[in-house]
Amino acid sequence: MATAFGSQFSALRGRRRERWSDLSPMRKREAKFGFLFIGPWIIGVLLFALFPFVASFVLSFTKYNIVAPPEWVGAEHYEHIVTDDPLFLKSLKNTAVYVGGSVAIRIVLGFALALLLNTKVRFLGLWRTLFYVPSVVPIVALSIVWLYVLNARAGLLNWFLGFFGISRIRWFADPDFAMLAFLIMSTTWVGVTMVIFLAGLQGIPEEYYDAAKIDGANMAQRLWRVTIPLMTPTIYLNVLINIIGAFQVFTQVFIMTGGAPRDATRTYVLHLFDHAFQYLPPQMGYSSALAWILFMIIFAFTAVIVASSQRWVFYQGGEE
Amino acid sequence: MFGRRTLLLTILALMLALVPLSLTATAQNPDCEGDVTLTYWHHWGGNRIPLQEHQVAAFEDAHPGICVDNIFLPWDNRLQNLLAAIAAGNPPDVTMFGRQDLPFFAATESIIPLDDYMAADGVDPAIFHPSEFAGTQFNGKTWLLPLPGGGAYNIVWYNTDHFAEAGIESFPETWDEMLEAAETLRLGDGEFLERIGLNAQSTSGAGAFLTWLNANGGDWITPDLRTITINTEAAAQALEFMQAMAEINYGIEEVNAFWEMAGEFDQGPLIQGLVSMEINGSWTLFQVEAHAENLNYDVAPIPYGPNGSADRRGSAHGGWGYMVPKNAAHPDEAWKLVKWLTTEVEGDGACWFIQQQQRPSPLVECNGYEKDGLVHPRAEALLGVAGLDYLVPVSPVQPEASQVINRMVEDVLFGDSTIEDALASAEAEIQGLLDAFWEEYG
Repeated sequence: MATAFGSQFSALRGRRRERWSDLSPMRKREAKFGFLFIGPWIIGVLLFALFPFVASFVLSFTKYNIVAPPEWVGAEHYEHIVTDDPLFLKSLKNTAVYVGGSVAIRIVLGFALALLLNTKVRFLGLWRTLFYVPSVVPIVALSIVWLYVLNARAGLLNWFLGFFGISRIRWFADPDFAMLAFLIMSTTWVGVTMVIFLAGLQGIPEEYYDAAKIDGANMAQRLWRVTIPLMTPTIYLNVLINIIGAFQVFTQVFIMTGGAPRDATRTYVLHLFDHAFQYLPPQMGYSSALAWILFMIIFAFTAVIVASSQRWVFYQGGEE
Repeated sequence: MFGRRTLLLTILALMLALVPLSLTATAQNPDCEGDVTLTYWHHWGGNRIPLQEHQVAAFEDAHPGICVDNIFLPWDNRLQNLLAAIAAGNPPDVTMFGRQDLPFFAATESIIPLDDYMAADGVDPAIFHPSEFAGTQFNGKTWLLPLPGGGAYNIVWYNTDHFAEAGIESFPETWDEMLEAAETLRLGDGEFLERIGLNAQSTSGAGAFLTWLNANGGDWITPDLRTITINTEAAAQALEFMQAMAEINYGIEEVNAFWEMAGEFDQGPLIQGLVSMEINGSWTLFQVEAHAENLNYDVAPIPYGPNGSADRRGSAHGGWGYMVPKNAAHPDEAWKLVKWLTTEVEGDGACWFIQQQQRPSPLVECNGYEKDGLVHPRAEALLGVAGLDYLVPVSPVQPEASQVINRMVEDVLFGDSTIEDALASAEAEIQGLLDAFWEEYG
């Protein structure tokens, strides 16, 4: 997949830049339609992404309660966040646990499922659909379903664990288990990761496996020596997507626990949301500063992964 | 530059983009014809929605030329929705509004004072019970009009069958008696609750801790709303009581896990028989009658603590009202709707709406328990309990202060902090928030 992207970019780079007057009438017409169809997207990005992005940065240096004009306070919010906000570190720690746990779960489980569903089993399409469908269910509906599944008294999961002699777990009432409950819930979206892995697996030429078999490699060796190295570009993509998404976990926590118990599920974005929309006076400037710190953390993680990718990501036929 | 086909395609694309707008749900009466359409937000869910529709239709009939877009919004996101609308310069004309949210909106003049309208239309503040009207004031101005009543939040609703089975003949008056009754009524095996006598963490109105502090004779904030006073003996006793009640119910974790089953309306814990006693507001009457016709129950005032007294039980804290935001498109017509929703006694307005729900009205002239000419048989008992309510003031930083208090209670109930440390820490934190507010808006 990454190879395909690379070749497309190379092709674009090599293309000569054409002037409008040089274009044929047909190409001009095509270009007009191109602009027409891409226009709404560009306007949307400018209005609803770029403008709020810049505005939130400026607001992070102001005191802003929504109903009165912003008042410049310099770096006061940033200083307060790191020195005097006990929930900043708490929510960051909770979020880090969620990121680590949910990304590991989704990568390992998604990869395992993709390997299974890349074999010739009966009803292959049905299995793929079944694992993918939860990913497209609205998160509010999913949250309600999971509240029932993880109910401490009559929940499906506790009933199932009972067969293994595991006593009742008070998932959302016990601070030691509440975040684990959200990690279990994160398996819901494993279908997305699985589909991307499946696409990667289907891009591996069969000849590599044939050659490995001739060399006497068993199944585990083929997985370790052929599949995983050739899947590193896909693993890389999935790790990036999942880390960025997991840092922003909010909706299910907001609906299911609101951060309880004992702030054990108070995630970073929930903390940010409270300052913006739950407290009076609203603290939009402070919230914006929290958002920019989160952005910098995600950016740093992404940069480290991108930089390290040269060491562990291998492209078929490439020099990397 | 663009040909006819391109133009047609552009128009088609625009039309497709407008389709979602045309699908936006509206609750506007299709039969209403008028020059002015008011946007009205409220949070009356469940079986109160048809009552709202009837009340609004009656207003339209009584005010030809004014139509109302009657929009129900969930309570949870009310501030988010309102602030976003005000910031966008497109607020509703009239909105239901929590009295606990008043100080900030009034201090920033984000809502319109109603005194001039009241004077022009001869609306005398004396038509409201004084304690109800007091909650509408900030800096000497009236910013909203009240409805429903701001008190009667802490009525104890109890299952008389459970009491009879347990051999408890009279309802507890004091905390010690309450603990004893709750232990007798609780069912379980030592780890797994089958039924709770009382969940002390679940009250309505001021929140659990402030409710128990009030019932123990303690004030949490000075009347000028500038100083927090929760690091006291009365507050420590309130936390000890909550701690003891949690232990009776096998600990806070089991209580919270048990409470996951509790819902609203027909799924309420009293209606489902999950609890023997429930502290809830006057609206419970309407819900019990709608969903549990055969429930045998009675009502009683909340028991008082060792530092409290028999004549100070429930807490009157905040409440609701209706207001007109600044930049409302039709403020004069909006005032007419506010007046209908809060002062109308003759037509199907303020008084009718409360009577249909059988709950206390802030209007002196309106007996909320009189419906279709008959006074509800429970009226005397309910009003007797409400008569023991005591005002628990709302601070200007209430949402964040409530969160600090909840955290303090959890610190104690989960055993992570001593009562003394938790109270001192919470008092200092809330005082810091208050000081910052008054420094900016005082």
